[in-house]
Amino acid sequence: MKRGYRHIKTRLAVIGAGIAGFAASIFALEKAIPVVQLGHTGAIAYTTGYLDLFGVSEAGIIDDPWAGLEQLRRTEPEHPLSRLANEDILTAFEIFTTVLSKMGIGYTVPGSENLHGLLPAGLIKPTLSVPATMLSGIKAMRRNEKTLIIDFEGLAGFSALEFKANFAGKWDQISTHKMSFPGLPSGQAYAETMARAIEVADTRQQLAEKIIQAVNGEKYVGLPAMLGMHEPDEVHADLERLTGLEIFEIPTIPPAVPGIRLREMFERVLPARGLVLEPQLKVKHVDFADQKVHLFLSGPLEDLEVEAETVILATGRFLSGGLNAGRNGLDENLLDLHVSQPPTRNDWYRLDYMDRRGHAINRAGIETDIDMRPLDVNGRPYSDRLFAAGAILAHQDWVRQRCGAGLAIATAYQAVEAAGRFLHG
Amino acid sequence: MTVAVTDFRELARDLLPQGASYEACIACGLCASGCPASGLFGMDPRRFIRMAALGLNEELSSTPWIWTCTQCKRCMYVCPMGIDASVLVGAARATWPMDKKPSGIVRSCQAQMRDDSTSAMGLRTEDFLEIIEETAEEIRDDDSRFAKLQIPIDKKNAQFIINQNSREPAVEPEELGPLWKIFDYVGADWTYSSKGWAAENFCMFTGDDDVWKSMVETRVDAINELKAKTWINTECGHSFYTMWKGIEKFGLEADFEAGNLISYYAQWIRQGKLPVNSDWNRDNLKFTVQDPCQLIRKSSGDPVADDLRFVAKILVGEDNFIDMQPCRSANYCCGGGGGFLQAGMTSERRAYGKRKYDQIITTKADYVLTPCHNCHSQMEDIGKFYGGDYKVVHFWTLICLSLGILGPNERKYLGPDLAGTGDE
Ligand SMILES: Cc1cc2nc3c(=O)[nH]c(=O)nc-3n(C[C@H](O)[C@H](O)[C@H](O)COP(=O)(O)OP(=O)(O)OC[C@H]3O[C@@H](n4cnc5c(N)ncnc54)[C@H](O)[C@@H]3O)c2cc1C
Ligand code: SF4
Ligand code: SF4
Repeated sequence: MKRGYRHIKTRLAVIGAGIAGFAASIFALEKAIPVVQLGHTGAIAYTTGYLDLFGVSEAGIIDDPWAGLEQLRRTEPEHPLSRLANEDILTAFEIFTTVLSKMGIGYTVPGSENLHGLLPAGLIKPTLSVPATMLSGIKAMRRNEKTLIIDFEGLAGFSALEFKANFAGKWDQISTHKMSFPGLPSGQAYAETMARAIEVADTRQQLAEKIIQAVNGEKYVGLPAMLGMHEPDEVHADLERLTGLEIFEIPTIPPAVPGIRLREMFERVLPARGLVLEPQLKVKHVDFADQKVHLFLSGPLEDLEVEAETVILATGRFLSGGLNAGRNGLDENLLDLHVSQPPTRNDWYRLDYMDRRGHAINRAGIETDIDMRPLDVNGRPYSDRLFAAGAILAHQDWVRQRCGAGLAIATAYQAVEAAGRFLHG
Repeated sequence: MTVAVTDFRELARDLLPQGASYEACIACGLCASGCPASGLFGMDPRRFIRMAALGLNEELSSTPWIWTCTQCKRCMYVCPMGIDASVLVGAARATWPMDKKPSGIVRSCQAQMRDDSTSAMGLRTEDFLEIIEETAEEIRDDDSRFAKLQIPIDKKNAQFIINQNSREPAVEPEELGPLWKIFDYVGADWTYSSKGWAAENFCMFTGDDDVWKSMVETRVDAINELKAKTWINTECGHSFYTMWKGIEKFGLEADFEAGNLISYYAQWIRQGKLPVNSDWNRDNLKFTVQDPCQLIRKSSGDPVADDLRFVAKILVGEDNFIDMQPCRSANYCCGGGGGFLQAGMTSERRAYGKRKYDQIITTKADYVLTPCHNCHSQMEDIGKFYGGDYKVVHFWTLICLSLGILGPNERKYLGPDLAGTGDE
C-alpha cells in the first residue's frame, strides 16, 4: 500500500520524552523557539514526582544542595552540574516548576534547602521541589503531628503498617488503617485505577466518608499517591474540603501515579501550547547533511521526516535506549557518538556491589563542551547543531547522587540556551 | 479446557520486530496498571508477558482472558520497553480449537467468508445493492435538495472507494443517508464496490491468519480492479486497522492509499466545502469524543486525533467540547474492540468498560462523538448499564444537522433535546 509521508520543518527538534526532553521543549516554548519533540515513554514513568537537585554526596545526605554543588565543583569538576552556575540551575528549576504548576500539577517553589520527601518504605528523600499534593506530609513528619496513614486492600507495594514501623523513632504519632477503595472489585488494585476513579465526584464523596469514619482525632491523613490523574490539585483540595482534614500523598513504587501524571500532562498540555509532539515513535536515523539536520521516523501508515536547524539529544541511558551495553563496550544508539566509558567490561563494576563510591558504568555517557555539544573522541564538537541533555551525559551518577530531575532540567536549560544562541546567530 | 500447547517464547521470536523481546520486561507493571482488562480471569498483561518469558505455555494456551484483551495496544504505548502484549494474545487465540472460541466472533467471521460481500452480518451483495437503491430513492423523494442523488457502484478511477459497515444496510438503512449527503454536498468523486464492499473484519480477531488474509485479499482485489485512488471506511475503527495491517503483514499488492473520513471532514471544512458551525447548539449541550484505538493509537496517531478535535469543536462549539482524560494516543479502549462485543462475555465486557464509563461521566458530557461502530455500541451499552444519561452519536449526524440537511428519520441517535433542531 502506498505509505504516507509527512514532512515537518522546525528550528529545534528534541529527541526523547523523559524529563530532559520535556524540560527542553518547555524552555524552547518559553523562548518562542518552534520545537518538535519525538519519543516513546521511558524512565519518566517511574519517578516519584519529586524533583531532586542534589541529595547525596560521598559524605552523606545533603541539606543545602547549593552549597553541595559548590563542593561538587571542587571534587567533581567534570560533573555536568559542576559546569553550570547555581543561578542558572535555579532559574531553570524556577521556570520548570512554575510552568508545571500552571499546566496543572502544582509544585513547591525551589528553595535554599532540600525538603525531606517521604518514601513508602519509610525512608526520606532529600529533594528540591515536591508536588503540592505531597507537601503537608513533610510538614506533619517534621512536627511529629498525629497522622493517620491509610492503605488500600489489593494495592501492592504500599503498606501503612510498614510505613509506621519504618518511621518509628522519627515520627511516633502515626496510626494506620486499611480500607477498600469504593467501587473497585476485589483482587489486585492499582493506584492508577484509583486515581482515575477518584476523579468521579461520587467516588470522591464515598472515599471522603470512609476517611472521616477512619480518623480518630488525627488532623493529617496520608494516602498512597492516587489523588487524581489529570487534576490532582483540584481532587486534593476537594477531598480536604469534604473531610476537613489535611491530606497528603506518599509516592508508591511503580506502577505509580506521579510519573504517569507527569507524562500525561506533558502530552496533553504542551501540544496546546504549540509543541509538535510525536509521542509514539522513536527516531530511527539522523542525517547531518548540508545546513540542516534530517530526522527519520516511521509510523504504522506513514514515514515522517523532520527537518530541523538544531537538535537536542535527550535519549537517556540504558533503560530508555540512549545507550547500549554491547559485547565490546558501550555505544550511543542513534548517532554512534563517542561514549566516555571504563576501558574494559571488567572495570564496569567494583567488587562490592554496595560500595558507597558507586560503579564506573554509572558514570559513562556522552561528553560535551560547555555549550552541551557532544564531543568526539578528539574533544571536538560532533556538530554545531547538536546538543545533549539529561541522563545520557557522562560523569554523573544520578541514582546515587539523587540528582535525576535536576540534572535533566538544568542541562536541558543549558542546551536550549546554547541552541537559541546558535539559531539567533 | 484443553487446547494444543504452543511455545510462546519461540513464537515471540518470530512475531516481534528485530531487537524486541519479551525477556526485556522488567516487570514494572505499568502495562497492567493501564489495562482495563487487568484482573479479569485473574490475568493481566504483565502476568501474561512474564508467563511467556518463563515458558508457562499451558496456562497461556488455556486462559479465557485472551478474549477479554481487546488488542488495543495501550500496554505497548505505556511500556518503557515498548512491549506489545496484544501480539501474544493474537497468537494464543490462534491456538484455540474453532469450537472453543467465542462463537459470536467465529460466526461473524464465517458470515464474512460466505460470499464475496465480506459482510459479517451476512448481507449478500444483491441485497446490499437493493437496499442502497431503495434508500437513495427515499432521499430523492423526500428532500428536493438531493433529488439527483446518485450512489455510484463499481465506478472506475474514482478518487474514493468506500467500504461500508454492514450495520447500516442490514439494520438501520436510514443511517446510510447522512454520509451520502455529505459526499454529495462536497462533490466527492466516490464509489462503492459490489465486491468486498463491507467494512468489518472479525476474522483477524479469531486469530486465524488465513481467513484474515482472504478477507483482506477480496477487498484489495476489488479496489485494485476499480483503480480507486484512496480507500476509506465509513466511520469505523477495527476494519481500517485489519485492512492496512493485513496488507502489510501478508505482503499484498495494493495500488491505493488508506484514508479516513475524519481527516477528510477536517479538510473539507478547512477548504470551506463543508460550511458547518455550532449555531444549532443553542442549549450549549456538552460533547466529548472517543478516540478509537484502531484508528488513532494503532494506525494514524495524534495527527488524526487532532483532526477529530478540530471537527468536533467546530461542530459543537469550542466551549462545549470537553476531552476525556486520558485521550488521543493514550486513550483507553472502551471495551468494544477485539471482538469483545461479539464474544458473549457480557459481564467481563462491562467490567472492562467501567473505566470508559468513569471517563465519560467525569466530562459531564451530554453526548459522546465517535467514528467507530464498536465504540458506539459499547459506550451505549455501558451507559445504560451503569446508569449514565449520555448519548452516543456519529459525526455524520452532527455534520448534516449543522448543514440543515439531516432528515427526520436520520435522528435515531439524537435525544429529544435535538429532535427538531436544524430541521428547516
Ligand atoms: C525508578 C526511577 C525512579 C526515579 N525517581 C526519581 C525521583 O524521585 N526524583 C528525580 O529527580 N528523578 C527520578 N528519576 C529520574 C528521572 O526520571 C530521569 O531518569 C532522569 O531525570 C533522566 O531523564 P532523561 O530525560 O535524561 O532520560 P529518560 O527519562 O531516560 O528519557 C529518555 C527518553 O528518550 C527516549 N528515546 C530513547 N531513544 C530514542 C530515540 N531513538 N528516538 C526518540 N526517543 C528516544 C526514551 O523513550 C525516553 O523517553 C527516577 C528514575 C527511575 C528510573
Ligand atoms: S510495562 Fe513493559 S516492562 Fe513493565 S511490566 Fe509491562 S511489559 Fe514489562
Ligand atoms: S492490548 Fe489493551 S486490553 Fe490487551 S493487554 Fe494490552 S492494554 Fe490490555
